[in-house]
Amino acid sequence: MKVLIIEDERKTADYLQQGLTEQGCSVDVAHDGIDGQHLAVHHDHDVIVLDAMLPGLNGFELLRSLRAVKNTPVIMLTARDGVEDRVRGLREGADDYLIKPFSFVELFARLQALTRRGRRQEATLLRVGPLHLDLNARRALREGQRIDLTAKEFALLELLARRQGEILSKTTIAELVWDMHFDSTTNVVEVAIKRLRAKIDAPFAAPLLHTIRGMGYVLEERAGT
Amino acid sequence: MRLAAMFSAVALASFALIGFAAHELLARDLARHQQELVEDRIEDLSYMLVRGRSTDLMDRVHEKIAALTGDGRTQYWLWSEDPAWRYGTDARHMAEVTRASRGVLLMTAGTGAEQLAVAGRDIAATAVHPPLRLVAGVDTASIDQIFRDFEIWLLPAILCGALLIAALSYRVAGVGLRPVAQLSAEARRIGPDTRDQRLTMSALPQELAEFGSSFNSALDRLDAAYTQLESFNADVAHELRTPLANLIGQTQVTLARERSAPELREVLQSNLEELERLRTIVSDMLFLARAERGERVSRGVEASLAREIGKTVEFFGVLLEEAGMEVDVEGDARATVETSLFHRAVTNLLQNAIQHAPRGARITARIEGTEDGAAISVSNPSEPVPPEHLPRLFDRFYRVDASRPNSDASHGLGLAIVKAIAAMHGGRVFAHSQSGVTTVGFTLGRGGNGGAVS
Repeated sequence: MKVLIIEDERKTADYLQQGLTEQGCSVDVAHDGIDGQHLAVHHDHDVIVLDAMLPGLNGFELLRSLRAVKNTPVIMLTARDGVEDRVRGLREGADDYLIKPFSFVELFARLQALTRRGRRQEATLLRVGPLHLDLNARRALREGQRIDLTAKEFALLELLARRQGEILSKTTIAELVWDMHFDSTTNVVEVAIKRLRAKIDAPFAAPLLHTIRGMGYVLEERAGT
Repeated sequence: MRLAAMFSAVALASFALIGFAAHELLARDLARHQQELVEDRIEDLSYMLVRGRSTDLMDRVHEKIAALTGDGRTQYWLWSEDPAWRYGTDARHMAEVTRASRGVLLMTAGTGAEQLAVAGRDIAATAVHPPLRLVAGVDTASIDQIFRDFEIWLLPAILCGALLIAALSYRVAGVGLRPVAQLSAEARRIGPDTRDQRLTMSALPQELAEFGSSFNSALDRLDAAYTQLESFNADVAHELRTPLANLIGQTQVTLARERSAPELREVLQSNLEELERLRTIVSDMLFLARAERGERVSRGVEASLAREIGKTVEFFGVLLEEAGMEVDVEGDARATVETSLFHRAVTNLLQNAIQHAPRGARITARIEGTEDGAAISVSNPSEPVPPEHLPRLFDRFYRVDASRPNSDASHGLGLAIVKAIAAMHGGRVFAHSQSGVTTVGFTLGRGGNGGAVS
């Protein structure tokens, strides 16, 4: 995934660049609106991370001039939580927005969602190491053993399996499994994960469902654990 | 100044009206006076013509006319078919003109070029003379002079009067508004540092007393809000201080020695958890600020509230199961809501209920259609909440039990957020606690039709 970061705050730009590079993205960075506009217009990116407040040319102006020539997906970062900024960003053609302070996991999940749009492959069988999911029959098997799951547990497992290897934040999980679109302070997701883990991992030797403290959860087969 | 100008405008208008009326009255009076004057002149001569029987009547008439016209202001004409009984130049014309019109006629005639008031009378034939037409004219110059004089003086008099009133009213307004000037001087002295100052009510005249007291109560309300804001800032600082202190301390301790990678990871993870908590608090504070600025929902859709609450209850499924609790959803209504915000409000209410209800309790979520929207409430069995705490439950960082530790699940903003979401939907919050059941809820204002379904 080729990402362009347009952000004047050095520290933010640096960690975003490092984080995204380590996630396997190729990253361009611009520290002001003018450079950002040049890179955005003259080079091709899969997605652009655009700060709303920029020196030289602000994010909204940049977005407008970019939309006149191309449709690269754009996720806006706004410091102010005003509805005006959000509405304005979306009206000018932003595909998504995040309000600072945001978490990196959240940003990465949104970037992936934006670039995945339209080219999602609809597999009916998913496999994570020894775990098999049959989406049509709504059945989960591990090492040949049938695992009994409730509908929500199955939906949660399906999400984790579809995005295996990817850290999913609690917010993303609540959004995609329960359709709750807000930062919840409840521990619903933690409890649900705990119960799911008891069913898919506890009876077996190697755990598949891992907690990344402070970030979220990931389903993957890890060697040597 | 403005007041004085208004007064003089009013004075000018009324003076002009009075002047106009006086003018009209005078004109009418003078006209009548003129008519009487002419008629007197006619009477003076017609008496002689009607009664006179002597043969030299015409000579006596001439004498009489000479006497009467001596003042130079009166003229006579006499017309008859008989040339012996004629007097004055153009007598025939005068006779015809006066006969053609009734009453007094204003015209230029006779010897001078003056304006005359003219009237005539027919005198029947007698033994000594044939039928006659007697015409008399009186010079109007003196009357016109009176009239002109009046007109000349009227305008300056009106203007002078208006100016006088302007000057007087400026003074009077100054005296009358002195309490206002005093009030504004007092108001100028009120600032953030002198918030307890109020306008002095005792010296105020009655018409200003009401203004003064509403101004003072506005100050009271602002003062209360200001105080709340101050304590709120203190609360925020307090809430942020603990996690910040942990972060700094823990990082310092870690960096003071060589640490292995797993140890460092452990610290970073712990720090991240603290930071996430800080982020949540800041995001929630920003959200509350949005509501406080009076922001209303912009992406509302009409929805069945029972269905949306059902989704939220489903979200809580595992937590309810763990706590052995169940939620009954009663009633339904349709209302226009921004679903993500509505879910958030209901989530916070349910979370609050689960926290305060004993294990195995039944929680009731009730929806009632109201006249202008809907009311949503969540009831749970609980320890009674003292009445003085009820209205403050929705304050930020407010805890009924001040000693209760800050748990991960709640940072004291849950119900404040419910209140903000209610406000964003044009509603408000309510809470009551009686016979072992605590109910907390909010209303939605008019947005959709909000009619009750059951």
